[in-house]
Amino acid sequence: MAGDHEIGVLRWQDRFFAVHNRCPHQKGPLCLGVVSGRLHGSVPGSMEVDDETPVIACPWHGWEFDLERGSALWEDGYAVKVVPVSIEDGRVLLEVGKGAKSQ
Amino acid sequence: MYSGPVIDCDVHHARSTDAELIPYLSRGWREYVTDRGRAGNVPLTVQDGFPNPHGFMRADTYPEGGGEPGSDYPTMRAQLLDPRDVRRAILTFGDDSHLAGHHNPYFASELARACNDWSIDRWLAQDPRLLSSIMVASQLPDLAAAEVRRHAANPRMVQVMLVDNPFNYGFGHPVFHPIYAAAEETGRPVAIHGGAGGWANPPSTGGGSVNTYFETHVLWPQAIQTHLVSFIAHGVFEKYPGLRLVLVEGGSAWIPSLLWRFDTEFKGLRREVPWLKRLPSEYFAEHVWVSSQPLEISPKRENIIDLIRSMQLEDKLVYSSDYPHWDADEIEYLSNRLPGEWHSRLFFENACRLYGWKADELDKPSAVAETVK
Repeated sequence: MAGDHEIGVLRWQDRFFAVHNRCPHQKGPLCLGVVSGRLHGSVPGSMEVDDETPVIACPWHGWEFDLERGSALWEDGYAVKVVPVSIEDGRVLLEVGKGAKSQ
Repeated sequence: MYSGPVIDCDVHHARSTDAELIPYLSRGWREYVTDRGRAGNVPLTVQDGFPNPHGFMRADTYPEGGGEPGSDYPTMRAQLLDPRDVRRAILTFGDDSHLAGHHNPYFASELARACNDWSIDRWLAQDPRLLSSIMVASQLPDLAAAEVRRHAANPRMVQVMLVDNPFNYGFGHPVFHPIYAAAEETGRPVAIHGGAGGWANPPSTGGGSVNTYFETHVLWPQAIQTHLVSFIAHGVFEKYPGLRLVLVEGGSAWIPSLLWRFDTEFKGLRREVPWLKRLPSEYFAEHVWVSSQPLEISPKRENIIDLIRSMQLEDKLVYSSDYPHWDADEIEYLSNRLPGEWHSRLFFENACRLYGWKADELDKPSAVAETVK
């Protein structure tokens, strides 16, 4: 908790991310969703994974968000609020209050 | 009422008898259809469908000299082309438009070839305002693609037309893609015409087949919806970025609700179709046009206007009369139903954009009359 906000810290491979636990769509508990590399298809019918771009899918409606930027995969301007993360001496530090605004 | 130039995107030219088309078949297929002894010829049209108790044609479109509505050029000219400033009319065939409903794919492919040659020979030669669709037998997509390419150098064969569906999957399925490759390569839009209900191999209504022409006509948009969703979901516009699609005779009032739902579903189900780079409605906005007929009659005139405006469809609607069919829309009627500021786009400019024509290069009627004389 940070004030009134629930923030989830998520690990993808060796990277850490922090996002508000509130999907901008219908306020679902976003951090209960599955994290994966972003799926993409270079041509119709192909299924590829971009591990450099982790995404989280809301457990309610499956809407996916880029964990690093917070933006939805279909529209940059639609986003979940993310919190900058840094690692110091093995500790994960969150820079609360500096993230992008949730919509 | 609108009195400016008109492009009519759906005019059904027909033939009165099979004998009219038989000379355009190859010798082998002529033999096939005629060598039947006392049993008579093999019919060239698909033998299926629902009867309309009023008939399928406007009663006043039967030519005075006999024959089927849409089969006689002077009648069409007098009733449709000359009374208004019609600059171009795109011909879309009669019963032959259902040839993809034939069970025999080889016969259907030959019929498509013959129909296109008949259209060029019997119709395009008569009037420079007339343009034709390229009929293809989608049963054999490679042959269909070859048929499209056969007309590449003829600018009056303006679009590739699909009506009946020979398979159990929507037109976005990769089995159909050779047709779209040829359409894109030759710069022709693909036109999906409604009305495959009853004539098609698979039912063209969701949930099950229907039993009356009344039901099938109400549900006509369903097949077009299936094909539109299929086109976008399968990434046809990613694979063929230059392709244009026009939805003919499916109406338009349903488009906003379908696109709203389509976009919403994409947000949750993108993982299934990750080759899509944009929202479905964005593909629609760039690649898809819609013919105006039949304009849905909303309880209040503004209801349909609001729906069209909600997705900027006033920039995508192209006028279509559907002459000589019973459910045709008149220019005067549409003029009264839709706002005056849309008229020049609806009746002329949108079709110019769809087909890649420069408005000032389309002949005026006086020039046409000279040519016809």
